Amino acid sequence: MGIAEFFQHLMNGLTLGGIYALIALGYTMVYGILKFINFAHGDVLMVGSYAGLFIYNALRGDSPLGPWVLIAFFLAMLASMAISAVLGMSIERVAYKPLRKATRLAPLLSAIGVSFILSNSAAWAFGTNSKKFHYPFDNTPFTFKGVVITPHQILILSVSVVMMIILKLFIDRTRMGKAMRATSLDQQTAMLMGINVDRVISLTFAIGSALAAVGGILIALDFKVYATMGTMTGLKAFVAAVVGGIGNITGAMVGGILLGILETFGVAVFGIPSGLKDTIAFGVLIIILLVKPAGLLGKDEKEKV
Amino acid sequence: MKKSLLITMALVALISVSVFAGGSGETSPKIGFIGPMTGDNANYGILCNNSVILAVEQFNAKGGIDGKLKVTLVTEDSEGVPEKGLSAIEKLSSSDKISGLVGPVFTGVAFAVGERVQNEGIVMLSPSATHADITAIGDYVFRTVVSDGLQGEVAGHYFYEKLGYRTIGVLYAKNDYSQGLFEGMTAAFEEAGGKMTISEAFQVGDKDFKTQLTKIRSANPEAIYIPNYTAEMAQILEQAAQLGITIPFVSCDGFSNPDIYNLAGDFTDGVVYVGPAQVAESQAYATFKSDYEKKFGVSPDSFATNAFDGANILLAAMDKVYKATGKFDRKAIRDAVAATNNYQGVTGTVNFAENGDLVAYQGLYRVNGTTPEYIGTFTVVDGVLTQVI
Repeated sequence: MGIAEFFQHLMNGLTLGGIYALIALGYTMVYGILKFINFAHGDVLMVGSYAGLFIYNALRGDSPLGPWVLIAFFLAMLASMAISAVLGMSIERVAYKPLRKATRLAPLLSAIGVSFILSNSAAWAFGTNSKKFHYPFDNTPFTFKGVVITPHQILILSVSVVMMIILKLFIDRTRMGKAMRATSLDQQTAMLMGINVDRVISLTFAIGSALAAVGGILIALDFKVYATMGTMTGLKAFVAAVVGGIGNITGAMVGGILLGILETFGVAVFGIPSGLKDTIAFGVLIIILLVKPAGLLGKDEKEKV
Repeated sequence: MKKSLLITMALVALISVSVFAGGSGETSPKIGFIGPMTGDNANYGILCNNSVILAVEQFNAKGGIDGKLKVTLVTEDSEGVPEKGLSAIEKLSSSDKISGLVGPVFTGVAFAVGERVQNEGIVMLSPSATHADITAIGDYVFRTVVSDGLQGEVAGHYFYEKLGYRTIGVLYAKNDYSQGLFEGMTAAFEEAGGKMTISEAFQVGDKDFKTQLTKIRSANPEAIYIPNYTAEMAQILEQAAQLGITIPFVSCDGFSNPDIYNLAGDFTDGVVYVGPAQVAESQAYATFKSDYEKKFGVSPDSFATNAFDGANILLAAMDKVYKATGKFDRKAIRDAVAATNNYQGVTGTVNFAENGDLVAYQGLYRVNGTTPEYIGTFTVVDGVLTQVI
């Protein structure tokens, strides 16, 4: 393999990893606060993408690429973030909140149920065909030292890094973030300290779901919008979050990038048949978890700090 | 209920035929049909069976065999399951003593029943078993439906002979459809003298093909064959452009779905693909369709249309053999079916290749921008690419 091909594979893997990382952020945040895996996260992402697609297409009409299309894209993204946030909060209110005192398994099953309801309803309402999300900018690739890079790849990588930093700052530095961390430590005590735990949890879902919408739209540019888009991508992002150390925001990023690179390099560098791409990636992840059960950046403690 | 009713009717018909024909001592000719008549897939079986009923009825109305013997149809339900199909052929063969079989409708059942008819020496014409290996069972197995293998064969020969490619890369999905086309095309392409230099696979539902495409780009074949469905092909074409790949793409009948132009837009420009052949709808088909609708109240599907031709070819073969020999020898009937020469049926002109496959045609298309243009109609007969139109 030539040096250019190696870097091409690296670039492909990084982009794929950036996508996983973006979604993993949402999983890890909800888990960090609530110790609960929101399996409907991928489907909220799907609904957000549909919302974004319809609003974008309505705003854009037939206009050629230009500033207005960029503005339309930006507005569509904001609107879809808002819609997803409301959806996320409603799901929490209807499907998870009544089960907060139940066994750990109950909300998990409820989440899987919500996931099916969302993806089946979308398939029913919008059909099972993929829908194209047109790039709001010129996505003509450019070549850098023999490696072909598209503007979209750079966008994905930068958005996921920026999102990670903002999220980290929000949780570490703001009052609301502090309330979230307190809730994460002990809901009862947090309540005694005057924290409105219901509001904190609602907000957690709102932020997580808005993040999902951003991720969904960025992915849709490359992978199109379809009813089951949340399922496999969501599953991989979840694995990325666990490998990075679930609950840890930097870990989600690391896990995502690692999974993307593993998928690419397993085939490209180690000559594994490409049909086994996922098998190899997941196999390596199992090994990582065997060696470090809490994930790469997770802390090996029973209680979350 | 329905089955026993049919059998009773068949028996009554049998008795009456033997009574009327009794004087000359001939046996009553019967043909069999096997298909799913109940269960989830009954719609396929019923539509095909209707065609055979219609064919037999029209044949008998014209006087039947040699103008005097009426043919009886015995329908057996397979429920689309190979085991049921086996007991059906058992009954048809030993107790009904059929002269020939139309069916089975499904590939899986056709594999099981095909073995039996081959051993028993009963000619079989399936209207819908498309798997490439069906006719490889033996010389008693025929079909009036296009084999899945033909498309790959036409593709491989066309890419080598007409497009002049000597090396080709393939990006295929891990499913029967894609893998079958990949193997068929590769075998034909290499038989013609070309070389398949790289083949990469992916799982159904994958959206990212950049790893595979980067590898293919490095292998640098003269063309890339993508036998897939629209969602995947759109993804592949777009990501190939993103990777700066300028190698031309060639594809399969999956590309004839217009959705590809919504999903892939301009990236489809220049793609050459093998798709359905364009045929003018014949008067024979129009008559068949209206007769069918009048009698059954539903429209025939393409398999039912195939079944009608299959039944008529079988009846014609029986007629020919009886006229020549005065009896219904199964081997002779098989030979008469194999000798079918330019039979003008409702599906068009029917001929059988050496192996029992329908000689059918594939269309070649080239996409100009986002509009497919018809290049011509091609087929491969005994390993040679032939342009028909």
